Amino acid sequence: MARARKVFFRRRKVCKFCADKIDYIDYKDVKLLQQFIPERSKILPRRISGTCANHQRPLQQAIKRARHLALIPFTTD
Amino acid sequence: MRTYELMFVVDPRVSDEEVVTMTQDYKNMITAGGSQITGEENWGRRKLAFPINKVNEGKYVLLYVGSETGKTALPAVEHRMRQNDRILRYLTVRTDEDLKRAARRQPAKGSAPAGERERTDGNAEPEEEV
Repeated sequence: MARARKVFFRRRKVCKFCADKIDYIDYKDVKLLQQFIPERSKILPRRISGTCANHQRPLQQAIKRARHLALIPFTTD
Repeated sequence: MRTYELMFVVDPRVSDEEVVTMTQDYKNMITAGGSQITGEENWGRRKLAFPINKVNEGKYVLLYVGSETGKTALPAVEHRMRQNDRILRYLTVRTDEDLKRAARRQPAKGSAPAGERERTDGNAEPEEEV
């Protein structure tokens, strides 16, 4: 009999900052921030990136600071 | 000690020498206000992520400021920058609190993983039982 077996192997997301032990997220580190701004230049949500809340907050702050200084775009058109 | 970072973007039509004199001006203001300049970075000409005042590039200058008393001339410097139309953008950030917090978290990290639970195995098992 066909047993409905749902075996999902979803890759467990880990917070990049916890894994790499980055504790101070610098707004000047454009390369790092760029990983969290996809095509439309929006801030990548936690549910997708897997970033923990404690790191998403400073990340968001850093992205906004970098935007103000025109290091990264607000939008792409 | 309080530490700050002051970054500003200058219009690229301003010559490099002028940028240096402008920077020196601001540095003098800061030191006169009783703080020290602990570092300086000149990023030079850099492409802006979006045009500001119809300008596509900017010259980035970064100053690190330290203040023992917590009183700085930074508000006055910001005021001057706001009035200077060759400054496209500026940003002052106080960094000591965040850096201290980061430094505190670093040694504590070693003991943290013990509390971490592996939940993936626990979830998969009940499905296997018939």
